[in-house]
Amino acid sequence: MARENQAEKALCLLRSRLCDPNFAFKALSHSDDSNYSKLKFLVSSSITEACNNSILLLGPRGSGKIAVLELVLSDLLQEFPDMISVIRLSGLLHSSDNCAFKEIARQLCVEHQLVFSRMASFDDNSQFMIAMLRECGLAHKTIIFVLDEFDLFALGKQRLLYSLLDAMQSVTSQAVVIGVSSRLDADMLLDKRVRSRFSHRKLLFLPPAYEDIQRLLEHILLLPTDSSFPPDYAIAFNAKLQTILADERFKEIINTYLNLDSTVKHLLRYLFRAVSDMDLESGMLSLENFKTALSNIQRHPKLECIKDCSVLELYILVCMKRLEVKEQNSYNFNAVMKEYKSIHDSVKTADYFARNVCLRAFEHLLQRELIGFADNRGQNQSIEFSPVKLLISSHELHQGMKSYGSCPAILQQLMDRQK
Amino acid sequence: MPTIAKRSLELNEDIMAAQSESTLDAVPSAGGSPPPRRRLRSNSSPMKLSPISKPMKLGSPRKRLSTCVNTRANGIEKYFTQKKVQTLCKSVEKPKWNLKDSKQISEVKEALHVSTVPSTVSCREDELKRVLEFLKQCIYVCGCPGTGKSLSIEKVKQALVDWAGEAGFEEPDVLALNCSSLTKTSDIFAKILGKDQTPKEVKSKTSSLQLLQNLYSQKPLYSRRKMTLVIADELDFLITKDRVVLHDLFMLTTYQFSRCILIGVANAIDLAGRFLPRLQSLNCKPMVITFRAYSYDQILRILQQRLISLPYTVFQPPALELCARKVAAASGDMRKALCICRSAIEILEAEVKESAENLNSSSVVDAFFEQQTATAPAPVVKKQETDVVTIGHMASALSKTFKSPVVDTIQSLPQHQQIILCSAVRLFRGKKKDSTVAQLNKSYIDICKSTLIPPVGIFEFSSMCRVLNDQGLLKLGGQSRDEKLKRVTTNAADEADITFALQILLMLDTGGSHFPPASKFKYKVRNLTFYSSLEIHCLDYELCISYFELHESEPWRN
Repeated sequence: MARENQAEKALCLLRSRLCDPNFAFKALSHSDDSNYSKLKFLVSSSITEACNNSILLLGPRGSGKIAVLELVLSDLLQEFPDMISVIRLSGLLHSSDNCAFKEIARQLCVEHQLVFSRMASFDDNSQFMIAMLRECGLAHKTIIFVLDEFDLFALGKQRLLYSLLDAMQSVTSQAVVIGVSSRLDADMLLDKRVRSRFSHRKLLFLPPAYEDIQRLLEHILLLPTDSSFPPDYAIAFNAKLQTILADERFKEIINTYLNLDSTVKHLLRYLFRAVSDMDLESGMLSLENFKTALSNIQRHPKLECIKDCSVLELYILVCMKRLEVKEQNSYNFNAVMKEYKSIHDSVKTADYFARNVCLRAFEHLLQRELIGFADNRGQNQSIEFSPVKLLISSHELHQGMKSYGSCPAILQQLMDRQK
Repeated sequence: MPTIAKRSLELNEDIMAAQSESTLDAVPSAGGSPPPRRRLRSNSSPMKLSPISKPMKLGSPRKRLSTCVNTRANGIEKYFTQKKVQTLCKSVEKPKWNLKDSKQISEVKEALHVSTVPSTVSCREDELKRVLEFLKQCIYVCGCPGTGKSLSIEKVKQALVDWAGEAGFEEPDVLALNCSSLTKTSDIFAKILGKDQTPKEVKSKTSSLQLLQNLYSQKPLYSRRKMTLVIADELDFLITKDRVVLHDLFMLTTYQFSRCILIGVANAIDLAGRFLPRLQSLNCKPMVITFRAYSYDQILRILQQRLISLPYTVFQPPALELCARKVAAASGDMRKALCICRSAIEILEAEVKESAENLNSSSVVDAFFEQQTATAPAPVVKKQETDVVTIGHMASALSKTFKSPVVDTIQSLPQHQQIILCSAVRLFRGKKKDSTVAQLNKSYIDICKSTLIPPVGIFEFSSMCRVLNDQGLLKLGGQSRDEKLKRVTTNAADEADITFALQILLMLDTGGSHFPPASKFKYKVRNLTFYSSLEIHCLDYELCISYFELHESEPWRN
């Protein structure tokens, strides 16, 4: 019983760690060469030297741009308690200039305990922002603008970017503009005036190397050996985990998984899955957890669908496939029936069913979305006459049939013959 | 302003005072002369001819305006001696550093910042002279971004006000506005009107434009009225479809009793000709003054001039020359040159910090105290080497600025995404420039088969395509609900990048790492004899691209 409690507690701890992106990225941010330290150096030197700067964070989604930025900002807020105020904008919400200026004015008002009026016009808001920048410059307070989805701000006339970057060109204001984007060519999207005012600093968030991933895994999965867990349990858990991490097969699994998408978030999602499968009785992670997590995450729903099909339905699918191969691009149920009959005539199979039974099977396939109507007008006509198309690829069909328990050999031959 | 005042320019004496007390400072204890690299730049630099200075952007500098408006050597001297006493420094972030370096570094960064207004002008004397001569008519100033237009106009404004004061005329009203901040284009007239002292007739239906027109066509009630100098920055925001506003604006200067001088600033050289054809016939075509992009000499001169006020050498001359040459060749944008210089300094800073930390961890601090004379020579040598910005720092700053992140990202993509890019390039190699996801999938499966890598299912495939779309490497379009029918395209420029990036991967020896990105590609590459490490500078990149175009290699073979 006590063992299970410990296991549950351990599971809770691991899951909460995996759900918190800040925790994961702390492990990756120790070296001097990491993006965390570069960003921190840049922003803190801008604050202390009171000069303006702009920087762009680029990287695929889930590579930790916002997480690292939040780490840096929280550290800086502790180091310089009264010298920073942060304004956050998102390209998805505030891409229109009016909205953006209103939001900036509102956040500035909230920070400095002023009263925000919703009736203020665009002009008023922009004047307010420039005045606030000047005031904060005089008071040596740096305003940090965080522009999420930066490439969406670069649509249209780019007035917001222009006024922000223009305001930063004068000595009277102290601001740092941090743009975050997943598009690599985000700075090419800028207007030439805006690009000239933007200091071409870019931080690229690349996927971590294997040593970093190893370190990350240890950081997240090893239990703390302090008093929160009974020492023998924690030590046993950690030892088991280290053996798993050193195992070649584990590396193979991680390798396969990261070949699809090597961002950290993707890895965390996988680890969550693996950890949730932990066996609560033994209270230890095992290699099997990781293996099953991999197969669970990489699902092929259509293949699984095929496994549930009946033989008649498989026949129908194969007929449709043959029709497609014969370059008949638009066919309906009647054509499929003709093909089915012709198959039966050429190869005497035992699976010849009546038309209404086939229609039922056809409808099942439609419901399961293995096939679908070729155009939307087919809703009004009856099923028999509306053109249909296959919604799974021949590759998947082939694979599905291979893994089907009792697929008649005829079908396989029929598939292959036309290839 | 306290911080500004604190950031004082240092003199030799200050340096030496700091030197003697810092512990890790690699200063030769012999005498008070600084190491030979830090020679004092003589303050008796040749004075620039024209008194009008050339700051970089709008906004009067807080600290220098009062003391350095007229640049004279003794003015700077005076400034030096005044500020000598300030020793407090805001270097909280670098406790281990010797104070000298951090203060000077912030000095240098300040001097090179885009928003700092230097006190002397250079390379724009001609343009400014022309502007001053032709202030009677309306003027249109054009040029690429970063060529000093707004800045020079600011100084012209200053000069005009001064001149009017000296010559006994009434000082003109100045209205400087940025047309991008106007909500409606016709608001500009309201702003011009606001400057004039006319009775407020806003309640009536007449628009501000009409009021202005009335005003300027009638003889003024009182004998003299103030001139209004209107400086309209970013004039192309006023261009509407019917070009009425722009036209009326320039027409305002043609009225008989017009009291306004208009200076318009924009980027397009032919704005006047293209959008205001009727002005030619009315004989009031604006005077067009083009600010050309800076040449190599000009950039170098401006950079040197900014650094001339500092009493120490920061850059090696070849480094400055490289920066000026590269920027002049690329765009002639002064802001870029300043940015690059500042990032070169940051690279140097990082390096010194790293070496200081190494020094920290390796050397024995106590021993240093005791044997100051004995251990001094070794660290001195190291410090001397890294104290100035060398051409290596500048080259890496240049490559960071000019290099596109595409090549790096492609090299670090996961394997299947690289295969997708390969299949995209192969698919679009012929005339076909766009296709569907389903065909891309086919091409992808073909490549996977030929390299014996198991392909992934359609779901993972389309999510990978979406990831590549987010990054801007592929373009997914189309509104089809069915994933398979989405159109896929890729940029032509990216093809070269992709080719280049993947070729480099094929030649890298990944040896022993657990994620060998290229070892499973069984492609053969012909005749590629160059080798490069992962860090490819911008200069080499262009060379490599031309190499590929020359050889037209066909890498996708089994």
